[in-house]
Amino acid sequence: MRSVLQASAKKRGLVLDPRTKLLLLVTVAVFVLGGAGGEALRWATPCLCAVSLALLITAGKYKTAAVCVAIYVLMDTLQRSFGGRTEGIVNFLLLASAGILTRFLPSIITGAYVVSTTTVSEFSAAMRRMHISERLVIPLSVMFRFFPTIGDEFSHINAAMRMRGVSLGGGNAGKMVEYRLVPLLFCSVKIGEELSAAALTRGLGADVKRTNVCEIGFHAQDVAVLILCIAPYVYLILNAVGVL
Amino acid sequence: MTKDKMQDGVAVLLEHASFRYANSDFSAVKDVSLTIQKGEAVLLCGESGCGKTTLTRLINGLIPQYYEGEFSGDVRVCGLDVAKAELYETARIVGSVFQNPRSQFFCVDVTSEIAFGCENFGMPEETVRTRIAETADEIGIEDLLGENIFHLSGGQKQKVACASVAAVRPDVFVLDEPTSNLDVATIRRLAQILRHWKAQGKTIVIAEHRLGWLKDVCDRVVYLRDGEIAMDCAMGDFLQIPSEELAAMGLRTMTACKAKQTMPKNNMAGTIDIQNCRVAYGNGRPALKIDGLSLPKGDVIAVIGDNGAGKTTLARCICGLEKRSAGCVCYGGKRCKRRELLKTSYLVMQDVNHQLFCESVSDEVRLGMDEANEPLVDGTLAALNLTTLSDRHPMSLSGGQKQRVAVAAALLAGKQTLIFDEPTSGLDLRHMRETARLISHTRGKCTSIVVTHDSELILLCCTHVLHLEEGRMRAFYALDGEGRQKLEQYFRTNDKPNGKEEEQIGRKEPGRKEETVEFETTVCICGES
Repeated sequence: MRSVLQASAKKRGLVLDPRTKLLLLVTVAVFVLGGAGGEALRWATPCLCAVSLALLITAGKYKTAAVCVAIYVLMDTLQRSFGGRTEGIVNFLLLASAGILTRFLPSIITGAYVVSTTTVSEFSAAMRRMHISERLVIPLSVMFRFFPTIGDEFSHINAAMRMRGVSLGGGNAGKMVEYRLVPLLFCSVKIGEELSAAALTRGLGADVKRTNVCEIGFHAQDVAVLILCIAPYVYLILNAVGVL
Repeated sequence: MTKDKMQDGVAVLLEHASFRYANSDFSAVKDVSLTIQKGEAVLLCGESGCGKTTLTRLINGLIPQYYEGEFSGDVRVCGLDVAKAELYETARIVGSVFQNPRSQFFCVDVTSEIAFGCENFGMPEETVRTRIAETADEIGIEDLLGENIFHLSGGQKQKVACASVAAVRPDVFVLDEPTSNLDVATIRRLAQILRHWKAQGKTIVIAEHRLGWLKDVCDRVVYLRDGEIAMDCAMGDFLQIPSEELAAMGLRTMTACKAKQTMPKNNMAGTIDIQNCRVAYGNGRPALKIDGLSLPKGDVIAVIGDNGAGKTTLARCICGLEKRSAGCVCYGGKRCKRRELLKTSYLVMQDVNHQLFCESVSDEVRLGMDEANEPLVDGTLAALNLTTLSDRHPMSLSGGQKQRVAVAAALLAGKQTLIFDEPTSGLDLRHMRETARLISHTRGKCTSIVVTHDSELILLCCTHVLHLEEGRMRAFYALDGEGRQKLEQYFRTNDKPNGKEEEQIGRKEPGRKEETVEFETTVCICGES
């Protein structure tokens, strides 16, 4: 949770424009998760997965990449080797979990790459270039700013709970959730209030067009990824109108 | 912009300003009239709840624009009627630095944070870039540009806060207790930044409870009591006030409390040993490296050292919260696992709100308690003045009361070691003494470890001092006559001006004599918010 849009400006591997990243995320969701195009677009899935994985590795997220690949390979093997040999409820569970995981993983990998390599300012700069209203951009960026704070608060509360000897393991699970939520809400409300006060004293919401110093723009690597992303859509359209 | 009442050279003008917060029964500020000239640096001081913070909010427009309540009177900053103006209009002329580093950053990396204000005003991108470079150079944080703010120390965060406010080039700076969590060395650097702003002709209004560091920054002191101005004098006159009188005003001083808190006797024997403790940061730099250390059981041990010296890491090791230091803490010669440490010790956090979970105080202190301790509950509550509060919701209590509930819960849970993380940050004299009483109350019942920058608190309630420096143990001594000298030495050494930085800000070196005087006032710490 803490790494959501919390990248600092340093060490981010291959730099892509946030808009390219967004398109990649949508494309992976549509074709790999959603399975659009069916059999005809089988070729697109491994390509998109490979690109996402490569990008995640260039961003230095080796551990995340390794874990995702391991889960994917395991599930795929299970499905291939045992899918036909089991039956009944076991077969159902196996196919369901393997099917869901293998479909979702590529999107998770892309998502992890996007959120861990984009800063809040890059995100809002990109939104603005796409002419999305400030009314949407400001709340969204406040939300992203709030994630690491909640993560921080939560780890403090967890530490306090452990020292009090209360954990999810024993006793009333409902109580345990309540014990965490009450201080979390209390602290978050307070921080949220102070955060908005601080932002307002720094001119957020002024009646002029906001500028942004983030250098975003399309480069060679963006073009490559964009072509790859657009290709399946083009194929789909051509297929639909009957050219192919 | 209304200019009818604008006078030449007046930066801030309050006329009969009163304010009552929406859900409060009394006015936080009553009929205050105050004129601050351009280029003046004014210190607002007084006990907690005296209206200091409210006054700063009147100046930066948060009252009545953001905080709701009943407002009357007239507030003008550089001619602008801030009570009626939009907040972003006020933001162009007033820059605000707040107390809590956790909640005043909008961005995650330093560069975007400094750019944030300028971007909001729609300055051309080229200008913003120049401003970032210039401001970073002025404040001396070029090396932090591009870093993640969440990974910075408290002192660094406060410098970034100053830089991001200064980048907009406001005429008036308003600071609300900016030094709550800072060590003496970092406070010095902050003082240099303020002097630099003053040299540029900016107006500074600062609400503070630690007075000493502002001695040669502010020219005027406004003392508030119950929302009214009780005293308004030049800094020179203020420094003449004897420390006993300051203490009577509820302002913190060093000399007034030479007398130690009467402490219960310590009948506990044995030690808590820390052996071969090695903790490193992600980048391999050692955060803590202690070969051998024995803490006497039942005593109160202060842990001092600069920001980033490893104080918090040590506290986490002793509590068993630090994964990387497994097996380095021994009770009675036996190495403890993390699980055992979590059972025997308790950390009273800086923000106590993180550790109160139940619906009433009496439930709270019984959570995690052994049934066998039930007969002790009433006695413990009475000893900590909590009997009358036992049915209240812990979140509805004041900060000091919450602290006492946390300690009561820890004592009843049979904890052997209590760790206090900066228990007095941002507290005024009265509340600081309350906390000191609370800590000395635990002597002989359990071992207390107090992580703090507050020399007065140490003198009041600690028996030993552990001095950390860059993750290593610099010294460990009992707080007897000789120990007191060593402690004073630490605060004095830290207070010596650093020649290089003075030069950078372009200010003359103070004379030798002045230096000595400065120490006396730096440890004379003053009442607050």
